[in-house]
Amino acid sequence: MNKEIEALISDFYEHDYILNEALATSVFLLKNLEKPLLLEGNPGVGKTMLASTLAAQLGTDLIRLQCYEGLDVGTTIYEWNYQKQLLHIKLFEQERDKNALGEEIFGMDYVLKRPLLRSISADKPVVLLIDEIDRADEEFEAYLLELLSDFQISIPELGTIRAISKPLVILTSNRTRELSDALRRRCLYHWVDFPSKAKEIDIIARKLPAIDEQLATQVVTFIHNLRKSSLHKPPGIAESLDWAKTLLLMNETHITDEIVQNTIGCVLKHKDDIEFVRNKTVQEFLVPVN
Amino acid sequence: MVAVDKSFKERLIDFTFYCRERQFMLGPQDTREAFEIADRGYWLDRKLFQYSLKAIYCKRKEHFDRFDEMFDRFWSRYYEEKLEARKKKIKQLKKEPEADTIIFLGAKFNKPRKEQKEKEAKQTKGANEMVRLRFTDFSKVNVADKERLEELAEELFHQMSMRFKRRLKSSNKGTIDIRRTIRHGISKGGMMLDLAHKKKRKEKRKVVFILDVSGSMDTYSYYLLRYVMVLRTYFKTLEFFTFSTELTHVTPLLRANNEEQILKQIGKTVHSWSSGTKIGESLTAFLDNYGSKFLSQKHIVVILSDGLETGNVAQLKEAVGSIRRKCKTLIWLNPLKGMKDYQPIQKGIVNVMPHLDAFESAHNLDSLLKLEKLLMDV
Repeated sequence: MNKEIEALISDFYEHDYILNEALATSVFLLKNLEKPLLLEGNPGVGKTMLASTLAAQLGTDLIRLQCYEGLDVGTTIYEWNYQKQLLHIKLFEQERDKNALGEEIFGMDYVLKRPLLRSISADKPVVLLIDEIDRADEEFEAYLLELLSDFQISIPELGTIRAISKPLVILTSNRTRELSDALRRRCLYHWVDFPSKAKEIDIIARKLPAIDEQLATQVVTFIHNLRKSSLHKPPGIAESLDWAKTLLLMNETHITDEIVQNTIGCVLKHKDDIEFVRNKTVQEFLVPVN
Repeated sequence: MVAVDKSFKERLIDFTFYCRERQFMLGPQDTREAFEIADRGYWLDRKLFQYSLKAIYCKRKEHFDRFDEMFDRFWSRYYEEKLEARKKKIKQLKKEPEADTIIFLGAKFNKPRKEQKEKEAKQTKGANEMVRLRFTDFSKVNVADKERLEELAEELFHQMSMRFKRRLKSSNKGTIDIRRTIRHGISKGGMMLDLAHKKKRKEKRKVVFILDVSGSMDTYSYYLLRYVMVLRTYFKTLEFFTFSTELTHVTPLLRANNEEQILKQIGKTVHSWSSGTKIGESLTAFLDNYGSKFLSQKHIVVILSDGLETGNVAQLKEAVGSIRRKCKTLIWLNPLKGMKDYQPIQKGIVNVMPHLDAFESAHNLDSLLKLEKLLMDV
């Protein structure tokens, strides 16, 4: 394995994130090719966590933009500080040169920087996380293209603002909506899948050092069997960790039918899914998986 | 850093085209980035190069799932050859240098270098070599032999096509075959005592080939595909289907005359190439959609598959039984039969065996050539 990638994997491991070689290569390219990385995958597989771990590993800031429907330029890029502008006008309304006054109030001092503008104005490269981009509107997606390809933002009153230092951009998507080809073309791509059984046990052991190995194995086996069933929402790694933490707090050493009845809410978030599990015995979900 | 050679760059461009043909959305920017990572020396490490290209070339999950297999298919030969060459180099460096000359009876002779000997040996096409390749299982052909096997296959298939083109065949009755009668007479001092006869061949048959192109079968399918293309001229009509998880009718693609072009076209059209196997489902689809058109008592049906069914076995049994009832002859080719100690005990095969007229192997060139006799005698 390439030494730099090996170092990246061990650095992430130090920060409690277990990278596989393919994902490590994508992160490595994100740093070296200076191209955004689009992570797609089921919810709870560690996409957002990857960005925060990368920021921690690099010792830099994480700027997060949580996307939602109706997200606009004002909340993501910049907004004029109207109060400050009005105050300035009030203070200097006696000035004769009105043009100069107008130019002054449309300067960078009167701009409120929102996450995207902040990320390109930082002195040293930051990690910019554009989380759940599939929730945002297509218009916003189109606005992002300029930032993703040229690391610059155009503000009508100020012109084009180029990045002082290029941020490391990570976009995540849960595939609730198909993203445009234009956006995809500008990014490196990685599909984050559910981890293998051994890797998931490793993740639980790393996050919860006090957990018994047998219990961790049982939790992971149960969760892997659940993922094979056709559920509305298959549990992610986050759910595995939550359940393992709950069982650890309850001082349980192995999973029984009663425990499943009481704690399955940590794992499944849909009524039909919970009903499905409650109608079965625990042994059915503890069948060894590969 | 080792500079990227020209052949590698050409190969990388070919790979980009290969991906584009498979619906990867790749622009010049992606190619430029691929070259950039190659220039950085990532190409020397196969895994690093593979994962880097994967991150650059894949734009959606469907690409991501298919990429590794495509990469292996395209690049494995290149990397295997590189590894072989490297091993050979290390081996040579470890060995003591041999003396270059031999003095025999006072005269000095140049001793041929081992490297040269090996090269010559590779270029020699002796009978033994031909026989060995003819009997080598397609899936076990190593990188060095692959090219020679291709050449041999081409030669043998060409000979076979010449045989197919003959309109008459020798027999005990019929019109006198002057050419063979004269040849017989040579041993009798020119007296033409033995008369040789020839007669018209039987009416040309109609044949349907159904090829399994799932992951376990693609090497065999490739050679059988080439074999089928030779057969086109012999049969009255030839229909050709491929399946793995879904059935594809590829006969229209066989109309082109260029063999390379045909293989390329089929590769593009068959989307389920090298995936799982649902034999029963595919054969049922064949029966439902094409059965009435391509099955009659004049049709020979040839199925190439290892019989490792991942779907419903009962459905497979029913479909094969139904095909057998509707055609003249049903032949099943199973490359696994060529394996030593092979027994047809898999569920899929056990269920279809009673319906078959012939159960043959098709794992090497020899078994494919034997198939010729079987098809001509029907």
